[in-house]
Amino acid sequence: MKKEVLKVDNLNMHYETLSGNVSAVKNVSFTIHEGESFGLVGESGCGKTSVAMSLLQLQADNAKISSGSIKLEGRELVGLSESELRKVRWDSISIVFQGAMNAWNPVIKIGEQIREAIREHYPSNTKQQNIEKIKELFEIVGLKEEIMDRYPHELSGGMKQRAVIALALSCNPKVVIADEPTTALDVVIQDQILKEIKKVQELLGLSLIYISHDIAVIAEMTSQMAVMYAGSIVEIGPTKEIFSNPKHAYTRLLLESTPSVVGEKKKLRSLDGEPPSLIDDIKGCSFSPRCPNPTEECKNGTKDMRLIKVGEGHYADSCCVECG
Amino acid sequence: MENNEKDIRKAIRKEALRKNVNLFRSSKLGKTGLIIVAFFAFLAILQPILFLTGIWNDGVYHPVVGYDASKTEFLVVECPRDYPTEKYESRADCPAKGEINKSIIFDPNVKVGQLYEANVQPAPPSSKHILGTDSLGRDIFSQIMEGSQVAFLLGLLSATLGVAISTILGSIAAFYGGRVDAYLMRQSDLILMLPFLPLLFIISAFVELKVWHLAVVLGILGGLGGSVITIKSAALQVKVKPFVDSARITGGSRMRILFSHILPNVAPLALLFMVFSVTGAIASESVLSFLGLLNIDMSWGLMIYLSQTDGYIFSGLEYWWLILPAGLSVTFLAGGFYLVGRGLDEVFNPRLRGR
Amino acid sequence: MTRYIINRALQMTMVFLIFLVASYLLFNAMPGNAFQSLLLNPSLPPDAYEKTLKLYGLDKPLLERLQLYIVNFFKGDFGYSYKFYPKSPVELIAERLPRTLMLFSIVNIFAFYTGFIVGKILAWKRGSKSETWITITSVFSYTVFYPWFALLMLWFFGYKLGWLPIGKFLYPEKWYDAPFDSDVVFLNMIYFTIAISAIQFLAYVFTRNIESLSLRKNLRLGSFFFILFLSYIYWNTGDALIKKPYAFDIAFHMILPVFTVTLLAFAGTALLTRTTMMEVLKEDYILTARAKGLSQKRIRDRHAARTALLPVVTSFIFTIVTIIDGSVLTEQIFSWPGMGQLILQAVLEEDIPVAMATFSFLGIFALVAHFLADMSYAYLDPRIRIKSQG
Repeated sequence: MKKEVLKVDNLNMHYETLSGNVSAVKNVSFTIHEGESFGLVGESGCGKTSVAMSLLQLQADNAKISSGSIKLEGRELVGLSESELRKVRWDSISIVFQGAMNAWNPVIKIGEQIREAIREHYPSNTKQQNIEKIKELFEIVGLKEEIMDRYPHELSGGMKQRAVIALALSCNPKVVIADEPTTALDVVIQDQILKEIKKVQELLGLSLIYISHDIAVIAEMTSQMAVMYAGSIVEIGPTKEIFSNPKHAYTRLLLESTPSVVGEKKKLRSLDGEPPSLIDDIKGCSFSPRCPNPTEECKNGTKDMRLIKVGEGHYADSCCVECG
Repeated sequence: MENNEKDIRKAIRKEALRKNVNLFRSSKLGKTGLIIVAFFAFLAILQPILFLTGIWNDGVYHPVVGYDASKTEFLVVECPRDYPTEKYESRADCPAKGEINKSIIFDPNVKVGQLYEANVQPAPPSSKHILGTDSLGRDIFSQIMEGSQVAFLLGLLSATLGVAISTILGSIAAFYGGRVDAYLMRQSDLILMLPFLPLLFIISAFVELKVWHLAVVLGILGGLGGSVITIKSAALQVKVKPFVDSARITGGSRMRILFSHILPNVAPLALLFMVFSVTGAIASESVLSFLGLLNIDMSWGLMIYLSQTDGYIFSGLEYWWLILPAGLSVTFLAGGFYLVGRGLDEVFNPRLRGR
Repeated sequence: MTRYIINRALQMTMVFLIFLVASYLLFNAMPGNAFQSLLLNPSLPPDAYEKTLKLYGLDKPLLERLQLYIVNFFKGDFGYSYKFYPKSPVELIAERLPRTLMLFSIVNIFAFYTGFIVGKILAWKRGSKSETWITITSVFSYTVFYPWFALLMLWFFGYKLGWLPIGKFLYPEKWYDAPFDSDVVFLNMIYFTIAISAIQFLAYVFTRNIESLSLRKNLRLGSFFFILFLSYIYWNTGDALIKKPYAFDIAFHMILPVFTVTLLAFAGTALLTRTTMMEVLKEDYILTARAKGLSQKRIRDRHAARTALLPVVTSFIFTIVTIIDGSVLTEQIFSWPGMGQLILQAVLEEDIPVAMATFSFLGIFALVAHFLADMSYAYLDPRIRIKSQG
């Protein structure tokens, strides 16, 4: 068995707002092994980004982790002080943000911004050493050396995105979180970037958490995946398995709503309704308003809701496995 | 169908307004400012009510021509030459409260140790005059209220005028660009070049500066000055947005685009400016009155001016009611408007709100 | 770029011409003239008034005078002051300007620096209780009624406590046998201040490229101590040693006005910085900086404050423009005989040559400062810089 790199156990996170506590992450658990790529998929607002932010504890001031544990190589991250967290950030876990356009400070050169990150964690390096490191990184992601001396607005979208990846790799992290890194780019560049990421991962033996709402990308990039809905994981398991054998009603609807290039022409099914507002406490199965075949028990919440095993390493939320 | 569309628009606007009001309420700064402004507005309205309903006697309490003829009794004393004595510590202690120095009484028949009725102005705060009276016997509190009226009138008038001018000019400069822009920029340069205070000295030499005149002068100076530049840069940001281009492609005339697209987007900034201009106007008026340049009957600046020419400024805390209420009023009202502006800023600029 | 500069220079000249004409007409439109007091003096011969007017050329028609003035202006001849005859306006300005500059440049540097730091901290502490109250206090120090406050300070520190002198910029008794004029000392002090600021500024620029953070900070601190050491040596040797007690006298008199005006002025910068910082803090790159593991302080100073610097620097330049205008009131209250007082006097007494000269000085100053502000903005924001280069 490969080494466990990241273990998240029953993570619960909520935001404190003027209208009450909004539970954004409910009882999320997953494990990532060395070299593995893990996908997190779901609609907008289902909590995937919140999970990512909690791993680095980068959430907004009014967000609190109410319970659960996050273990990085056995070390507990929840409850660490800010100064200890700062050492963990980037050095062990880094993140490629959604929208690389804005991740860069417009008045500082790209090279300087990357060197800044390296300096923070390796203060004894000389400037030359850092520059060499960046040259290496740029080569991996396919950027020319001179980009280092440029300002962000001089780069195209694709170049900025590659630079962000270089930035994320600069401190040799163990886990890289990619939060919708290609959403804002055109399809051609998207393909290139995805290939880059895969290449980098294999080259450096990183663990990757890939977050997206695009199920096709997840299929291409990941070996394990989890489907999230309304703050909790409804199905988790090997990607191939979930795609060929989706057990949860939501997962099934999700797959059926994506057009496929191969195979016969099928009529697309779309999901009615919207994801539930997370402010109200949801009784019962959170998916029931949109479930095509809800039973009384689903709506009332008397159905036992927990993840049950539906295949080898494959779990789903018990409620909707039977319906739909 | 037309009606339906109008109704929808109205409903959207109402909703937006409600949302904005709520946002404003959640801003501590804005709320504080609003309370202060409301307080002074209340004072401004209070005065005519007091007069009309007869609670206050016009003859006694009028801020400009009122005079309190009531007399109080004092014990006549003669202040010694050298201090300290057994009765008094220093010169400042004689005459003490309730006493009056013989040297200032004209009547030669009055002797030390007698009780003398006199009307001493300025009188300290008493139950009759909440903030005391000034050296001419006029009620200070009434003066404050009058000053409040002047401040509001002057401030709002000059601010509205100034903002109207600078918004229109700034939008035109941004929109038409080129020569028009260059001309307007140089024009505002010209205004910027003139020193404010000396300029007002000059103007006051040949124009009698009453409230209306001053408001117009301040409005024009403010409107044509640096604010044009700021509004222009804001309008420029709107101009490069895609919807302006689409408006032009669909055949909108330039004037129409200017009015229905650019102006509404610049309006929040203009509103902000207006509120801050009021602050400036109130401050300017008080400084100008203090220098004796204006011809306004009664204002806060004038109150301080009078207390200076009467020589009470260096009396320290002894005659505090002559200086403190007026000075503090200027500070608080100007600051109150500024805070309201900050609160509005939080409404219009979502990036300034709390996380 | 050069085309823009040439264009701009032409425009500025045109504006200045209009300014000259407008000012001249304005001054002459004021009722009365500088010599009316002669009419009141009964011991003068009755035609003294007309003779004086003729002497100064004030009997010629307005347009002719205007033409003469403009032509002379560009020849460099500014006439003679009516009141301080035979001093020319240039002499007067040269005398008064250093005094105003000295006072207000110190004020502006202090106010700008303090305001920036306070604003930075305020924005960072967003939402805490202290933040609201400090902000409100800043607002009220910004709007306080200036003459009243200044007089209060004068009264308190000068009269009641007797610590600091009430007005004026020196004790005349101390200067009776001074070997030189106060202007010389002033100039000396100004050069000194400029030299110090330049050294510190250079220190900042040269240490920008040093990689190690602690080394950088130490170097800058080191340059500060170096400056202190240099100042000590400078003022205690040679020429400056003689001037030292006089310089100290002036400095002593400067304390109260500087303190008073700085108190009021820093709030403006603080509030502006705070607002800009708050906008910047919402940007995504701040989040990235946090994710990188940078310390709060570093994010605040290196990322947020750097971007917030832009509008603050622009406003600083504009403040410099209004130095002389703002000094009018201060100099009146503190009896500090500088440019502000000069202008006011000239306007009140209709000393046209002096008034015109000072107004022109201000005008050029304002035009140039505005131009510099535009240029520096382009320099500080690389986005604009590159765009304008093509």
